[in-house]
Amino acid sequence: MSAPTEAYVALSGVIFAIGAVGVLTRRSAIMVFLSVELMLNAANLALVAYARHWAGVGVLAGMTGQTVVFIVLAVAAAEVAVGLGILVAIFRDRASTDVDALAEVRL
Amino acid sequence: MAGFALLAAIMIVGALGVVLLRQPVHAALSLVGTLLTLAVVYITLQAHFLAAIQVIVYAGAIMVLFLFVIMLLNVQRQVGPRRSLPGLRWAAYAAGVALAAAVGVVAFWDGRPAPDAAVVAANLQGGGAGLIADVLFGDLLLAFHLVGVLLLTGVVGAVALVQRRADSAHGAPKGDGAAARRERAALEPGGRP
Repeated sequence: MSAPTEAYVALSGVIFAIGAVGVLTRRSAIMVFLSVELMLNAANLALVAYARHWAGVGVLAGMTGQTVVFIVLAVAAAEVAVGLGILVAIFRDRASTDVDALAEVRL
Repeated sequence: MAGFALLAAIMIVGALGVVLLRQPVHAALSLVGTLLTLAVVYITLQAHFLAAIQVIVYAGAIMVLFLFVIMLLNVQRQVGPRRSLPGLRWAAYAAGVALAAAVGVVAFWDGRPAPDAAVVAANLQGGGAGLIADVLFGDLLLAFHLVGVLLLTGVVGAVALVQRRADSAHGAPKGDGAAARRERAALEPGGRP
């Protein structure tokens, strides 16, 4: 007996909210980045849960959701590569990754 | 249902560890636990190929990259002046709880019946690589091409961001940050190594 789709979506929402709290409260840029990964995975979980829900309609309706998750994984990999490169460049310049200290890109 | 409750509890505890643990390495390892549990949840959702990819790419490659950078930068526990907006932390916690409650209520409000397990299993066929490839090289072909361009751009961008300037290897490094000062001291003959 598998859990209903609503349970998975609720779990996804809780994980997303925890990640959002992390983005708002952590001060090290690396920790903010980890929390963003948490939010990305919550969105993926919702996509896979809805993919199973719509699989009752047809094969294509079910598999499209899972394929979108596949693409999101690739985008997340590229995002992590560029983001960590930016972090290393910032740390090299000022020996700190405190996001509160990074105020000079402000308009 | 009991299995789902167990998996959900492990995931939520891991996510709380990411947000609450002070040491960045501990938080990253907690995130690894959450991602591995998420792979098991994918299996319960008939997405076996995605579960394998989740373990290999996310819990493997991406988190190893994170751990590398955390240890390379040697980030200590958080120090510095107190944040500029007082009460922001509690506002953030309240917003998180409200968001979680809202999403949970909305999700459970919908009384649509769950799909028939036999039909789902027959249609998804375990979510193998062949079915994903049918969609990826069919309806989502444009997205596939764009992801290729994005990955190329990401690799070039990461290399361009991290590499040092060719002229700073011989002369004094530019910038007046602490890291630049440390590099300059290391370059001097009698300087601190």
